[in-house]
Amino acid sequence: MLDAFSRAVVSADSKGAPIGTADLTALRKYVADANKRIDATLAITQNVSCIAADAISGMVCENTGLTQPGGHCYPTRRMAACLRDGEIILRYVSYALLAGDPSVLDDRCINGLKETYLALGVPLANAIRAIEIMKIATVAIMTETNTGRKMFEGINSGSGAQCQDIASEAASYFDRVINALS
Amino acid sequence: MKSAVTTVISSADASGRFPTISDIESVKGSFDRANARLEAAEKLAVHIDRFTSEALEYVYGKQSLEQANKDKCARDIHHYLRLINYCLVTGGTGPLDEWGIAGMREVIRAQQLPTIAYIESFSYIRDNLDIPSDMGQQAASEFKSLLDYLINSLA
Repeated sequence: MLDAFSRAVVSADSKGAPIGTADLTALRKYVADANKRIDATLAITQNVSCIAADAISGMVCENTGLTQPGGHCYPTRRMAACLRDGEIILRYVSYALLAGDPSVLDDRCINGLKETYLALGVPLANAIRAIEIMKIATVAIMTETNTGRKMFEGINSGSGAQCQDIASEAASYFDRVINALS
Repeated sequence: MKSAVTTVISSADASGRFPTISDIESVKGSFDRANARLEAAEKLAVHIDRFTSEALEYVYGKQSLEQANKDKCARDIHHYLRLINYCLVTGGTGPLDEWGIAGMREVIRAQQLPTIAYIESFSYIRDNLDIPSDMGQQAASEFKSLLDYLINSLA
């Protein structure tokens, strides 16, 4: 597993050179944006069930056959597995966001996910839709563009607009999962 | 690769939980110290050749070591300083542990290398660091603690 810092180290090591001023510029930006990154992570961790459960519910609402007999979320045992998976994917996205690098998401979540779902007969289109809803909800909460109440207390509270870049980064991690399943 | 952030994530993942407030605070703590670390890494990258050659001249100037090994010693000191540069960037001892220290005892024993040359070189670099012209006070203390870590593992 890598983070933004160890990613730079691995790439410098392949050249056998120490990390100098040029490479440090990007890392200094990562450090300077640390509070925003932490706020963005808090936006996820304070709204886990809201993001994950609502996404699964949204997926079912758009396709009510899922919870009918014969549907993929019937009986509740399978619905529960679906809710669990939503949370797991969200959890790995939160790790990747905190690390500033997708390797933890790739290694521990995405790798083999599609094969597992195909083997278990999970409908990929529906799974992708649930992840899309999680992405939309996460970005809205982070940037404080959701309708209704403010959804998280961060270090820079009231600074949702400042989380714009980090929110795009979070969206890219959800897209990574979506692409892997497509 | 062990770093301040990956250590936190690994333990959170091992228990299947989202990053908690205390996880996030420990990550934040490492970010707060990051500027000193990055300064140390930057200055070390600039001075790495000079540090290597000065330490080498000092250790081999004492005539007690076989001069034929000097080039190899220079290469190794440079290598270890590079790994310290990486450790300063990651904020953990991962690069030194994984690429420098794992297997080191076995290699040293197999080749019957005198570790004293390394220990003296790193001690020389640690004791002759010029503050603030080489690097600032906080950066130097980050650098020195990694030098100590390496010296202890060689001893």
